[in-house]
Amino acid sequence: MKKSLSFAAVLALVAAVAAGMSAAAGARSSDTTITGAGSTFVSPLVQTWQQPVGGALGVTLNYNPIGSGGGIAAITNRTVDFGASDAPLSPDQFSACKGCLQIPWALAATAVLYNVSSVKNLLHMDGPTLAKIFSGEITKWNDPAIVKLNKGVSLPDTTMTTVHRSDGSGTTWNFTDYLSSVSPAWKSKYGVGTSVNWPAGTGGRGSAGVSAVVSQTNGSIGYADVAFALKNHLKYFAMKNSSGKFTTPGLRGILAAASSDQKPDANNALSIVNPPKKFANAYPISTFTYVIVPETSAKAPELKKFLFWAVTKGQTFGPKLLFQPIPKPVLVVAEKTIKKIHT
Amino acid sequence: MDTLLSVAGLSRRRLVNRLMEGLATLAAAAAVALLAFLVYSVAKRGGGSLSWDLLTKTPSTGGFLTSSNTGLANAIVGSLVLVGLATAMALPTGILIAIYLTEYARPRVRAFFSLVLDVLAGIPAIVIGVFVFGLLVVGHAQSGWAASFALACLMLPFVARSVQEVLLLVPNSTREASHALGVPKWRTTLSVVLPQTVGGIITGATLAVARVAGETAPLLFTSSLLTSNDVSTNPSHALFSIPLAIFEYSESPDPHDHELAWAIALVLMIFILVANLGARALAGRNRRSLTGR
Amino acid sequence: MASIDTPVRPGRRSFTGRRLRPADALLQGVAAIAATSAAVLVGLIAYKLVRDAWPAISRYGIAFVAHDIWDPVANHYGAASFLFGTVLTSVFALAIAGPLAIAIALYLTELAPRALRGPVTALVETLAAIPSVVIGLWGILVLGPFLAHHVEPWLHSALGFIPLFGSPSTGPQSIFTAIVVLTIMILPIVASICRELFLSVPRELKEGALALGTTRWEMIRAVVFPYARGGIAAALILGFGRAIGEAIAVTQVVGGGTIIQANLFSGGDTLASKIAASYQGADSNIQVAALIYLGLILLVFSLVVNLLAQWVVRQFGRGQGAVSRASARVGATA
Repeated sequence: MKKSLSFAAVLALVAAVAAGMSAAAGARSSDTTITGAGSTFVSPLVQTWQQPVGGALGVTLNYNPIGSGGGIAAITNRTVDFGASDAPLSPDQFSACKGCLQIPWALAATAVLYNVSSVKNLLHMDGPTLAKIFSGEITKWNDPAIVKLNKGVSLPDTTMTTVHRSDGSGTTWNFTDYLSSVSPAWKSKYGVGTSVNWPAGTGGRGSAGVSAVVSQTNGSIGYADVAFALKNHLKYFAMKNSSGKFTTPGLRGILAAASSDQKPDANNALSIVNPPKKFANAYPISTFTYVIVPETSAKAPELKKFLFWAVTKGQTFGPKLLFQPIPKPVLVVAEKTIKKIHT
Repeated sequence: MDTLLSVAGLSRRRLVNRLMEGLATLAAAAAVALLAFLVYSVAKRGGGSLSWDLLTKTPSTGGFLTSSNTGLANAIVGSLVLVGLATAMALPTGILIAIYLTEYARPRVRAFFSLVLDVLAGIPAIVIGVFVFGLLVVGHAQSGWAASFALACLMLPFVARSVQEVLLLVPNSTREASHALGVPKWRTTLSVVLPQTVGGIITGATLAVARVAGETAPLLFTSSLLTSNDVSTNPSHALFSIPLAIFEYSESPDPHDHELAWAIALVLMIFILVANLGARALAGRNRRSLTGR
Repeated sequence: MASIDTPVRPGRRSFTGRRLRPADALLQGVAAIAATSAAVLVGLIAYKLVRDAWPAISRYGIAFVAHDIWDPVANHYGAASFLFGTVLTSVFALAIAGPLAIAIALYLTELAPRALRGPVTALVETLAAIPSVVIGLWGILVLGPFLAHHVEPWLHSALGFIPLFGSPSTGPQSIFTAIVVLTIMILPIVASICRELFLSVPRELKEGALALGTTRWEMIRAVVFPYARGGIAAALILGFGRAIGEAIAVTQVVGGGTIIQANLFSGGDTLASKIAASYQGADSNIQVAALIYLGLILLVFSLVVNLLAQWVVRQFGRGQGAVSRASARVGATA
């Protein structure tokens, strides 16, 4: 009996400690909490929004970066208040979501990361070669195709390990969209999707996971939003665009790409991968990213307040993370759509 | 059989024997070395990052480029809540099942339910996670209740089996003496038999808790979409937990996240090791007191 | 006194007379409900999995198991490459852990000095208590890099003519790392069960052989192994069952891949790790159903393995007690 008493005493002590910790950390009520989930691509920006949103709007914003696929699934199941996806919803996904609105709320670029310990320079890459690398046809860093793009750089005989997203990813959608537009072979064999039938390579969970695998694997090449390259000090390629210029995923390249499609379609989707020749400074793997909200929501007032802030004031937090503020025409469409949300 | 007993081949046989003994000793040494190295890895890397911050602060919500996660108080409290609720669900049910199997069920029925428990114990945790997701999360939000229920499903067969074992240790003479005195069966079971097994029940519960404290798969789909980074004890929304924190931080590119993962893994391992060793010591003492051996 | 050790004889008769008191009926009823709910839970799990996987089951049927494709763009799915991954990783892990575990059990029962037996046993069983996510963390950050930088290149240069040891991975994730991780996880289970088994071998049999002049190893071969062979088989099968169900540690280190190929140093996926990696982000109904179908296959596989272990033990007669005691202690499930 003594043992069970002391056990009960320990339990009580633990409960008291838990309550104490809870009080110390200041648990707040969840009345004005907005929970979202989805794209890891946009998570650097959304994470940066949490503090200012709390201060300026009094709304507690919480975001779970589980990948665009997860975000679409979560908002379809109404497990969260909003979803975020870089991949525009398909007609099937729209009908499954039952009355969801798709609103472009950020604009950035997918960097093609690499990690080759012996190379210090910034390397050049073009679309067709990239497609061959990810389809497993090019397996060594000193392959003639890569050497040709990087004259004067001594490339090692290291095996290339491609790194892709193992979860459902809007970044994958953007990346494969680009590969499909520069390589008919890729388009017919693998196509475009949040997840494709990768022929080889290692998978990482989330943009963070891909960044982790790339930094731990010598000779690796992967893709993620450029902010992750900045944060983790990873190198990325300068990509050859349609006009023949090698551009990097910076604000200039993104802005130039964005001017190639200023008219959102019926569902507000835009496509700016591989812009035509006349956009000479465009970075070819740029993309808009979307927030998916139900048209009818119990949290409509908070959602509207947050989204209006996000597409206006929120954009000013972008440039530091290489998110280009969304262009005026797109902003107008976004605000029009946000107005549709009601309780 | 000739070479087995021939004296002429004795030295060869002795050599083979020596060799095999050496291999067996080597294998045991390798296992011990491996465990020691694993524990040492966690202790060294985790110990360096253990700090009061880890236990009292929550993951930071600062800017993306400059911020670093600081603490995991919400994960610790969340784990306590989830495992506590799971125990509250699984322990009484497990005890009742064990009582049914030892005191009431006829042999065929007992065999059937034993099989049921064995089957339940053999279901992989990821499958339980998918099941509970489909049952309790689809159409609603994730919640601590769903996660606790999933953990309880994992705990149940262990609790039932270990309580059953202790009930069987109670000498039949105790029951018979009680009945001989005119005590009804329910009273015998609850007031005579069960109190003798309290030590064993605590042991079984402790082992089950230690087992389930580190489970990640059932939490992946039931308690991973957090609504806030604050410490919370409210199971109606998703709660952060230690195994999930380790899982997420292990795949992060940020070395600081790795340090946090090691530190919280050390905390978890200390808890599990203490619980295991304590339960074992307790079990030994209980068995000796019940059977006199 | 004989009656102290006789097993409990349960029955429904009330011991105070023919009338069943309401309190007795209540306790029995509540206890029976608890037991029944466990059975209902198992049935519910099976039913829910089948129902949620139905879109995939009706589209592909049993041929799903043989399709070697996972293409979310064309919406073609099949389990073959994950089934292959599960079997490959678990068989190799068992091949390494099995002999090691038997050797350890022999050491603990025959060779170790008395003083060491307790502590070393506790240590080996403690290995089973380490959560899989912690082993996965260690796998990514400590074991994986070590294998990739030292072990895999060596194996490739020494045994590279065998397709299994193809070009080494340059990062911590690979099927090989997953195999090592699984080996570490199933070792204590198999060792613990074997140890209980070897302890249960009657002393007279062992001493008889030794008295005839056999060396200890010969005695083990002639007496212990034949006596315990059913239990050893069951231990190996249970270890295998544990390995096939492991999702978390494997998904952390296995690398992800949907191609069936022989190189252990490249990436792959198992049924469990594929579900853990892709389920949350599956964004079409048929993909979700296909993933649940994978879970259903895993469930059936685990059940078959578990029941096989039980049957083996029953067939060979001895060892039931040892197997269930030890497996309860170390948790022989995922």
